[in-house]
Amino acid sequence: MNNPTLWSLRLGYSAKQAQTIEKIGLKKFLDESFSSKFDSKVPDFLKDSPKTFAEFKEIRKMYKDNPDQKKEMQKEEIQTFLEMKTWWIDKMREAEFPLREKMTCFWHNHYVSTFQKVKVNYWIFQHNQILRENAFGNYKTLTKKIVQSNAMVRYLDNVDNKKGKLNENLSRELLELFTLGIGNYTEEDIKNGAKGLAGLGLGEDNAIYRKIFEDNDNFVYLGKKGNFKIDEMIDIIFEQPNIPYLITRKILKWFIYDNPREELVHYYGDYFKKMNFEIKPLLTKIFTEEYAKNNAGSKIKNPLEYALQLMNELNIENPNEKLIARFLKDQGMDLFNQPNVKGWDGGNSWLTSQVFLQRNNIADLLCNGKNLTRAKKINNDNSMMSDDSMTRQNPNQQLKVKLDWNKEGDNKEIIAELKNRLLFQTDNADQQDFEKILKYDFDSKTEGSDNAVLRLFNFMVKTPEFQLI
Amino acid sequence: MDRRKFLTLTGTFTGGSLLLPDFLYSFGSQKNLIVGEQCIVFVQLNGGNDGLNTFIPFEDALYYDVRPKISLSKTEVLNSAKGMAFHPALKGFASMQQSGDLSVIQNVGYPNPVRSHFRSQEIWQTAPTHQEYLSDGWLGRYLDLQCKEHQPTAGINIDSIDNLALKGEEPNSITVKDPDRFKTKSKAENDGQLSDNPQLDFVRKVANSVVEGSDDIQKALAKSAPSDVIYPKTGLAKNLEWISKLIKGNLNSKVYYTSLGGFDTHDNQLAIHKNKLTELNDAVFSFDAMSKGFYEDLKKSQQLQNVTIVVFSEFGRRVKDNGRGTDHGTAAPMFVIGGNNRGKIIGNNPNLSDLDNGDLKHEIDFRSVYASILKNKLAFDSSKIGIQNKALEGLF
Repeated sequence: MNNPTLWSLRLGYSAKQAQTIEKIGLKKFLDESFSSKFDSKVPDFLKDSPKTFAEFKEIRKMYKDNPDQKKEMQKEEIQTFLEMKTWWIDKMREAEFPLREKMTCFWHNHYVSTFQKVKVNYWIFQHNQILRENAFGNYKTLTKKIVQSNAMVRYLDNVDNKKGKLNENLSRELLELFTLGIGNYTEEDIKNGAKGLAGLGLGEDNAIYRKIFEDNDNFVYLGKKGNFKIDEMIDIIFEQPNIPYLITRKILKWFIYDNPREELVHYYGDYFKKMNFEIKPLLTKIFTEEYAKNNAGSKIKNPLEYALQLMNELNIENPNEKLIARFLKDQGMDLFNQPNVKGWDGGNSWLTSQVFLQRNNIADLLCNGKNLTRAKKINNDNSMMSDDSMTRQNPNQQLKVKLDWNKEGDNKEIIAELKNRLLFQTDNADQQDFEKILKYDFDSKTEGSDNAVLRLFNFMVKTPEFQLI
Repeated sequence: MDRRKFLTLTGTFTGGSLLLPDFLYSFGSQKNLIVGEQCIVFVQLNGGNDGLNTFIPFEDALYYDVRPKISLSKTEVLNSAKGMAFHPALKGFASMQQSGDLSVIQNVGYPNPVRSHFRSQEIWQTAPTHQEYLSDGWLGRYLDLQCKEHQPTAGINIDSIDNLALKGEEPNSITVKDPDRFKTKSKAENDGQLSDNPQLDFVRKVANSVVEGSDDIQKALAKSAPSDVIYPKTGLAKNLEWISKLIKGNLNSKVYYTSLGGFDTHDNQLAIHKNKLTELNDAVFSFDAMSKGFYEDLKKSQQLQNVTIVVFSEFGRRVKDNGRGTDHGTAAPMFVIGGNNRGKIIGNNPNLSDLDNGDLKHEIDFRSVYASILKNKLAFDSSKIGIQNKALEGLF
């Protein structure tokens, strides 16, 4: 696999950007990615979802009067939620520079807030949109914004955090998961932080303090004393010496290494701090320096990377994105619905034997021009959403699959071409297997040659090497 | 595998051979009655096996004329019948024929023969009507219709790559790379060879721990009575030994597929061919005092009537030698062993004086052999999977 292909996969979801990277260089490619436009309008499927406080009040009243309608509305909201998943998957698939969406997804898994708990689609959308807007912004600014989103204060129970009846959930995760990480604060800091956060609850567009629930006593927070509110607390957090490392480690894990070396974490982390937590220079430094290294195959693909690459390679147009969402869920990467506030662990935890088997099964299905229907069979008992609503959209639809390959090539050239797009490395035994599938007397000009190359492709994507980038 | 999931039950005796009193087997007249759990074992000889030096028209003077350097002398070949003889390495084959357990089908091929390994294997594996390109194999199509729902162990392929013959709409077959390693959880752990990439080692470990249907196979292996037959130490023998364990462990797969490579004898044919045929022969019926083969194992465990072994290659080789070897050709004999076949030589001897561009003309279509196997052994109408040819008569 050549470097532009590897980095197209790492910075996006397929080999689609390899040519651009090769042509304009990685640095320019990053600049283009940073300045890529994004859609900021509220999507149509949220048109009828409640958004303002007034609307929520009305709905709550209606629920009381009419329980049947409540069920109906909740069903609709679940449907809307599925739409939101496909809306996002579509963005990831279609983006000319997918790095923004990839980074959005990184933040999505850092500042976790799930629909299951928040239950308001519009807030989840807003939360997601903050991540998209600030994907390449400033870590400190983003932390401030996201902690003061309606989704977050509800997800981490800060709506219940009131003077005299404190709830420490948000205060704890702010330090443990969002910023410093364990070992860099005390239990006292968490208790005290909860005081500073008391009264920060739901607002019209974002979370706001309610005077009557605030706790305005002075407290000590990470060694400083005062009556701090959320923005000041975050300022203090970002003065701590270990602030850059947790997030830098996670970025390295998300893009490059399942197990980044600590010295690398510190090297880039220190730079991040020097750059005042600006994300663009950090990403630029990491990507350009790592690009020059021989580090292919250091990360197991997450289900998104796995599925979208396959679909792209097979040139599947208009795939059923609900089924993709379904597949992601079966694979342990349910969008907007992480199992807990820590988010998906990533790395080795992406692959269990069951998950690996399912990946191979869907590779077979897709290569056969079928949709991802088997996903449903494999994991149909632990689903929370109704299966019907997931798969209502013609699950058995036949897909048109078409592989790109050099029709002028002989067997070895075609093998080399596919290897470069799919496998970060191969050995002699692999090569022998490939040449058993496409033999030396393979004639690329014959009508059935597409089938044969597709069989080779199918075989390659089931090798362990395909799981890694 | 749950045998009830097979739609078509073979014969009336659905419970398998156990329900049949032993004496029934001794009735020659019962030969065409399909009993028990029938299965087919395919042994594909890769590279194009030289039929003329395998089943030899040794009484035809032309044979010696066209092959001055690589013919086998009358004194060394193993006489069969009708002026034909086996290659000296095929002692076991000659013996099985004498016991009435081996049929030879002569001059098997197809119209407009293709001499590319790649395409000709594709043709044999997909069995198209007019050489159209099919994406599913003939056995895959059969298993699609035969299995009510996806049955990962309905077909077993022993190879490092998947087999096109078994590829169907549903994954009804599995490929086992190495039976020896099957029990081990991890290849990496097993041979202690780790790459310098821990992530790759991890994925390999996961990949090796899962083969869909592996539980069924494990169960069959556990259930299989230990065999006192010691097989030769070759790759093919090992694969057949493993297949025998699965059959005896009642895995109830319909189709087993394995292959032996090295038959592409453009040069140094006498030595290479002898070597390869010896491996084939000994894996099936070894005359060695120390080891026995698949046929002997099946016979001893009274499975032979349920197991049909089919030996074939993608094409034969050019009638005239090229010096020390032979180039790609066309028609060649197929061998069918066990499964209560009639033990005949079917078809005429190769006609060395009526050639098509230096190659034999085929007389029996391989698809009619497939049709016969499906009809007689698996009670399946081959037209359902698009095979139009009439089933070959006289095989079972």
